[in-house]
Amino acid sequence: MTNPQTTIQDRVSVKKEVRKIKNLPTVPGIVAKISRMVENPETSAAEVGRLISQDQVLSAKVLRMANSAFFGMSRKISSISQALVILGFEVVKGLVLTSSVFDMIQKSMTGLWEHSIGCAAASGAVATLLGREDAEEILVAGLLHDLGKVVLALNLPDEMRLILNKVASGDILFYEAENQLLDFDHSELGQWLAEHWNLPESLAEPMRLHHRPEKAVIKPECTAIVHIADIIVRAKGFGNGGDILVPPISMAAWEMLGLKKTDFLPILEILEPKLSSLVDITSIN
Amino acid sequence: MKRIPIDKAIPGQILAEKLTRHDGVLLAGQGSEITEGLLRMLSRMNIDTVVIEEEESRTAEEVEEDFRRLVAQMEARFVRVTGSPILMALKKTMLFMAQKEKDVTLALIDKPAAASENPEAAQSAEPSGSA
Repeated sequence: MTNPQTTIQDRVSVKKEVRKIKNLPTVPGIVAKISRMVENPETSAAEVGRLISQDQVLSAKVLRMANSAFFGMSRKISSISQALVILGFEVVKGLVLTSSVFDMIQKSMTGLWEHSIGCAAASGAVATLLGREDAEEILVAGLLHDLGKVVLALNLPDEMRLILNKVASGDILFYEAENQLLDFDHSELGQWLAEHWNLPESLAEPMRLHHRPEKAVIKPECTAIVHIADIIVRAKGFGNGGDILVPPISMAAWEMLGLKKTDFLPILEILEPKLSSLVDITSIN
Repeated sequence: MKRIPIDKAIPGQILAEKLTRHDGVLLAGQGSEITEGLLRMLSRMNIDTVVIEEEESRTAEEVEEDFRRLVAQMEARFVRVTGSPILMALKKTMLFMAQKEKDVTLALIDKPAAASENPEAAQSAEPSGSA
């Protein structure tokens, strides 16, 4: 389908615009501080807990997510130090990061936050079915997989409009439209941001490769789970990832995880009640 | 079902999930009615939310109409991947669950023989066998 909005001239000018992204969003101060603390082997969980607890608004948001249907805790987590013990350090750090970028995600694109928490819940459901011990960490990777779209929306709003117009005009996926117009997509922007922010590979690789999970080498299973979770949450039509289409599935990812078609039923049975409950953290402010 | 904060809960509503204390002790079973006493107890125990059965305000026709719309939207989302047996299995599973939910809702509205109203669709929507 031809869209008058996406002529060759547009395409050329769009590529020039890319150079405008000089300033990526700065890493949230608290996340940078925590990362520095963790690099020091002397740092204790209690010290990290104290640092996060100093910011009461942030702590409240983190605890709200820790107690949400995401993790399905039978006991209420009432403090950051307790969250550190129960959920582990990486997960709490991921939640701090998510709370810090929540406003950015909300502002960037209608429905992207819902898509993100839906993908997180689906990642958790697949990981749980597979009996993964790192299910919570995989869930956080699902939560942040589309941060590249936030960079795109905030730094290149005109290009974002062109992409969305193109998506609206035909049977085309968001990342296909990005590649046609920009020669790169949000997964590369996500990678860029992950490097800039010094995020761990368990978050960076799914951000970069959730559309090409077969290329993952450091966290291949985590990346494959986020890939499948993204498909499931789009199939459910929960939130908005930029287009309304279910994207193709990577057979390599599917086979590596050893999933069967009959696994969809238990996965969806874990996921459904979580999605309806998660509506109450769609506005964690 | 729907999770609501306890300050929005009203005596008479029905619990859609069992309610347990933070240490796992059962407080009220699934299907039991919310009472003033239960709400007071929950607030003492720092329990913030309960999951209640949603009241069905739609008519049977509206439920059928919503189901048809849901199926049409689902078909539209899968339009690019009809060649993938795995993703078709996902669609079939979702249809199966949606059909089941519709049947439960229709039964709540107290429409006789709601579940057998569309036996062919129910049969074709069963999830497929293993890969």
